[in-house]
Amino acid sequence: MITLLSAVFGLSLALLLLMLVRRDQLHVSYGLGWTSAIVLSALLGFAPSIFDAMAETLGVSYAPVLGIAIAIAALIIKALLTDIEVSKMRVRQQRLVQKVALLESELEELTGRAPLDD
Amino acid sequence: MKHGAIIMPALNEEATIVTLLDGVRQTTDLPVWLIDDGSSDRTASLAAERGAHVVSLPVRLGAWGATQTGIRKALNHSLDYVVTMDADGQHDPEDITALAEPVMRGKCDVVIGSATARGSRLRRWAWRLMRLTSGLQCEDLTSGFRVMNHKALAVLAGPRASYLDYQDVGVLLLLEREGLSLLEVPVAMPPRSDGKSRIFSSWLAVMYYMFHTLLLGASKRKRPWNSS
Repeated sequence: MITLLSAVFGLSLALLLLMLVRRDQLHVSYGLGWTSAIVLSALLGFAPSIFDAMAETLGVSYAPVLGIAIAIAALIIKALLTDIEVSKMRVRQQRLVQKVALLESELEELTGRAPLDD
Repeated sequence: MKHGAIIMPALNEEATIVTLLDGVRQTTDLPVWLIDDGSSDRTASLAAERGAHVVSLPVRLGAWGATQTGIRKALNHSLDYVVTMDADGQHDPEDITALAEPVMRGKCDVVIGSATARGSRLRRWAWRLMRLTSGLQCEDLTSGFRVMNHKALAVLAGPRASYLDYQDVGVLLLLEREGLSLLEVPVAMPPRSDGKSRIFSSWLAVMYYMFHTLLLGASKRKRPWNSS
């Protein structure tokens, strides 16, 4: 049953991903990362015994918890990477805004015309 | 002859800007560059009427973002030094000469106009905490009344400085890490004319600022922890 649910979920996510990329709502570079996540979760869905083996090796008494813990860790890492990306974008945006303001100021000085409205 | 300018970030300061610019004009011939951070009042037009060169930001960036805009302009114009001062009347133009002197003589790279007598006991306690976490030795960590030479401008115009939200601990640590010398000169700083801080508009804003600054100080600290 869990295998079927994992397969349905993975397939639905894959279709959603294709649709988002097709509609230009998701950049292709992010699509690659999500595709990898979907393939991995699909593989694990079809072979749940992998978690049993990992849990035994790591000394985890209840194997499904390991899957949940790994999923949470992956989401935290993803959130952190997103924040790093947002930080870089924020800096780029700030410097662009500064550049625009400085250029508008120089133009106004040269032409006597007020800057364009936003 | 060294070329300089006064950089003045401003947000809704129509109540003080005219008096301030008149005071600056009586004291120095330095050009004033007012960086208007999206004022909704007549700050920009009043400043322009008083002879300031106004740069209007299309998106509000905050006091440090506005100051950095002026610094980038100064670097672009190959200036030797800049004076940064607030537009709320807290900084006395008559102190400009005393502040600029050590930089002009090459004694240091940055001068900070220090007024530790201002503010409440809570502010002084906050400064102490900031010094403990950052390892900075300055007494007045939050003064925006500074003079900076070309070397300092080059450091603060760069992308690393664009990661900063405020002009105090992060900026001072960045200057220190780049090996620049800082000097404090005492100045008088009267209370803000309208009594309202633009940055510390609520207790939530103050708490965010403290957490932000302490984390920044601890993460970018240059001095070893046992040297505080």
